[in-house]
Amino acid sequence: MPSFRQELKPRFAALGIIVLLVLGLLLTRLWTMQVLYGATYTQQAEQNRVRELTTEAPRGRILDRRGKELVGNRPTMAVVAESSVLTNKALLNRLSVVLSMPVADIREKIASTKEAALAPRTVAIDVSQSAVAYISEHASEFPGVDVTVQAVRQYPQGNLAAHVLGYTGEVSESELGADNGAKYSYGDIVGKAGAEAEFEQVLQGDRGRRLIEVDATGHEQRVIEDTDPVTGRDVVLTIDSNVQKVTEKALAQAMTDARKIGFPKAKAGAAIAVDIRTGEILAMASAPTYNPQVFLGGVSKKNWATLTDKKSEFPLTNRAIMAQYPAASTFKAMVFLAGLEYGITTPSSTYDCEGKWVGMGKQWSKWCWNHGGHGVETLMDGVRDSCDTVFYEVGYRFYKDGGEKLQKFARRYGFGAKSGIDLPGETEGRIPDAAWKAKYNQDYPEYQLWLPGDTVNLSIGQGDLLVTPLQLLDSYAGIANGGKVMRPHVLKQVLGPDSKPVLTFKPTVAFDSKTSKASLRSMTTALVDVTEVGTAKSVFRNFPVRVAGKTGTGQVAGKDDMAWFVGYAPADKPRYAVAVVVEQGGHGGSIAGPAGRQMLAALLGQPVEHITATDISR
Amino acid sequence: MTRMNERSRLWFVNWPLVGIVFLLAIYGSVMVQSATSGMAGGPGLFKRHIFGLLVGLVPLGFAWAVDYRKLSGWIGPLIIFDALLILSPHIPGLGTTAKGATSWLAIGGMRLFQPSEPAKLITIIIMAGIIAAYKGKVEQGRDLAKVLGVLAIPLGLILLQPDLGTGMVFVAITAGMLLVGGLKPRWFLILGVTAAVLVAGMLSLNTTLDKAMGRDVLIKDYQLNRLLVFVDPTLDPKGAGYNLEQSKIAIGSGELTGKGLRSGTQSNLRFLPEPHTDFIFSVTGEELGFMGALLLLGLYLALLITALEIAAQSRDLFGSLIVAGVISMWTFQILENMGMTIGLMPITGIPLPFMSFGSSFMVTNMFAVGMLLSVWTRRQGVSGI
Repeated sequence: MPSFRQELKPRFAALGIIVLLVLGLLLTRLWTMQVLYGATYTQQAEQNRVRELTTEAPRGRILDRRGKELVGNRPTMAVVAESSVLTNKALLNRLSVVLSMPVADIREKIASTKEAALAPRTVAIDVSQSAVAYISEHASEFPGVDVTVQAVRQYPQGNLAAHVLGYTGEVSESELGADNGAKYSYGDIVGKAGAEAEFEQVLQGDRGRRLIEVDATGHEQRVIEDTDPVTGRDVVLTIDSNVQKVTEKALAQAMTDARKIGFPKAKAGAAIAVDIRTGEILAMASAPTYNPQVFLGGVSKKNWATLTDKKSEFPLTNRAIMAQYPAASTFKAMVFLAGLEYGITTPSSTYDCEGKWVGMGKQWSKWCWNHGGHGVETLMDGVRDSCDTVFYEVGYRFYKDGGEKLQKFARRYGFGAKSGIDLPGETEGRIPDAAWKAKYNQDYPEYQLWLPGDTVNLSIGQGDLLVTPLQLLDSYAGIANGGKVMRPHVLKQVLGPDSKPVLTFKPTVAFDSKTSKASLRSMTTALVDVTEVGTAKSVFRNFPVRVAGKTGTGQVAGKDDMAWFVGYAPADKPRYAVAVVVEQGGHGGSIAGPAGRQMLAALLGQPVEHITATDISR
Repeated sequence: MTRMNERSRLWFVNWPLVGIVFLLAIYGSVMVQSATSGMAGGPGLFKRHIFGLLVGLVPLGFAWAVDYRKLSGWIGPLIIFDALLILSPHIPGLGTTAKGATSWLAIGGMRLFQPSEPAKLITIIIMAGIIAAYKGKVEQGRDLAKVLGVLAIPLGLILLQPDLGTGMVFVAITAGMLLVGGLKPRWFLILGVTAAVLVAGMLSLNTTLDKAMGRDVLIKDYQLNRLLVFVDPTLDPKGAGYNLEQSKIAIGSGELTGKGLRSGTQSNLRFLPEPHTDFIFSVTGEELGFMGALLLLGLYLALLITALEIAAQSRDLFGSLIVAGVISMWTFQILENMGMTIGLMPITGIPLPFMSFGSSFMVTNMFAVGMLLSVWTRRQGVSGI
């Protein structure tokens, strides 16, 4: 009877095949997912459950040579926001009210061209307690906004030494892309200028890293791995905050004085003090200055525009190492020494100054600053009185002698080259010579030839000569240090975690001019005459220590004269050298000299007096 | 009765089926225990699962004891009972709504069971009765129409709940039974094409209506997206799409040997939704890896092959059809449930037979096993019972 069984057999077989197909399909898919692509899914599962949290490492502090804190850290309540906030107008308005900040400013803080725009951006720091409380209590009204505690830089001495210290900011795209960029992540604070940038590697600590396991709601389950942050190292600078204070004040006073006596454009300048035996920079000021605090939490566009505007005289520029000026009469020291060393002249060689110098022929006549003439002057007298005619003569000799010896000699003192100071942005200055002139005027064949007048102009520190204040200071420090220019530096020590030094800067010679002792002795004698009976006489009246120095008054086309003073003391056993320059400040002897006097007084432990002096020399 | 002896008493039990079901139940219990271990109230859930298993022995024994052949005389009343059963959650005071579907029977707020579960088995019996009447040849369009007409009653009611997943189970059951019942292949073709055209028509009608009315009518877009999410998980990224992604990550990250019981990060850290019910296989795949999945598929293969053997040994067509219905039900549910966890099938609330937590589902499957045993015990060559 059961014929249906035969009939059903193929149907059962078909059902069986369907079963096999279903199970086979599942098996194949599972093989693909679990065996072939298992590793990929494992990675995704890990991403699901593991969160990496980093803790910022406190940045190292910056101290002055006596351990006084120049830059420290302080905690601040910060409001951070994700980029999604930008599209939420109502939220932006709420934030604007709570933070008392214009919406445009908030937008500007959050908006970022950076690709990692996902990372929350700091909107405001130093947020008031009430604002913090409001945002925390109304968290649901502030999606994508968070309140965090951040460590920011603090400046216990205010703007003091702002150009040496520099400032910090968020790591930039290019910094992240750099060779050592791997150690940074988005939002990290790094040094952007000055010592903060120069010593970034030691100041920056290592972020703490915490791997935690989270559940689907993001709640922490357990800690997988925990590495503590490593605090950045403290850096001790060679800066003496007392001398620095005096220097900044003296520079500011010099500019005020200049404006009072008819130089209204005296708004910028620089002043530096160095230990001639070691190259330690004890003070370095640049005017106008800026407040490094404005960079905390991200500098606003408006502030940045002001800081980089010509009208505000580029306050971020550290003129001490970046600005290039004609050295004017202060360069006569180089001409003096080179003349002696190359046998072009002797200390007692005499020159007749009639006010107008016609050594190169009447059609190429040049004036001494003293149009009335100095009369007969020795080379020594020439330095004392800053007589241009004397140095025209010497310069002309150099020209006729050939071989660009004057330029070669100046380079031996570091002119035309970077001093090697441990601060970013130093410029090289310029020692003009025939090769430079030909190249510089390559499109103007008629100007390519090096002329006698070029050397003559160079010999009074004018023409195409450009020096940085630091280069000029270094050359005098070299004169004071037996002809050896020490490498200038601001780093004294790097401290370990126990505040014991782990690195101490060792003084090195940057330039050895190999100048003879006799020439240097004559030089010092001449420079002491300057402060005792010469152009800086009234500046250093009643100064208890003998000072060797030189004034200078630089001429720049279209601008008021710039005032220079450079010198060292004590003259018999030199220890410190100072240089001061005031842009469009007038005469060196009346404007820069008094500032130099105050700096030397501070360095030598003498009473710091603000004196006024009058000098009309160049 | 006269031929009964000690040996034959054992002989009328299908021991392979019992053994495989026992192994599956153990496997399922281990996985449910693992999946619930990290949950609040996990031990309680596990106890309920074991309780469901034990309770399931009652319908199993009952179905086994009842002579399935007697059921063929009750088809008419069963159709009515089936409809009432499916409708029961809609009776005020008796039903409750969960996940958008009114599919639970509850009294005083306490959930009892999903009536659609026993309805599956009743539908199998009804279908078996109707198809068996055609003596293994469903050739007339009229006959097919009658079968489909009878299917339409529970299917229509289920789709009204709406519970698309369960509706698909009913379709799969009917299709499998029609295959064994002798439906001409060309009818399968016609039905398949018609269904495809109908679905496509419905979808385009839905789109057109939505556009014409300017709002979401007929099928809600989110419902459609939830269904289609396996094609493109971004359709419902926060709901089904997220669940699917997490399930795939769980299974894939199990790799060859798995992360170990109770060590699945996806399940224990709650990235996986409903790890002990709909997504129990995701837990299995994550914690026991491909080897665990292979073992499960092997057990299912053994189960279905054993069931096929029972169908083939049935005394009559009615019995074969019942078994074919159960095979179809299980096969489809395995395909649907495991398929959804690995992105092969739409995400629906179909549990995995003998593995998923859930007592009404477990009871249904135990009842089905009882029916299979009933068919086996009364097979050709065994007399007197």
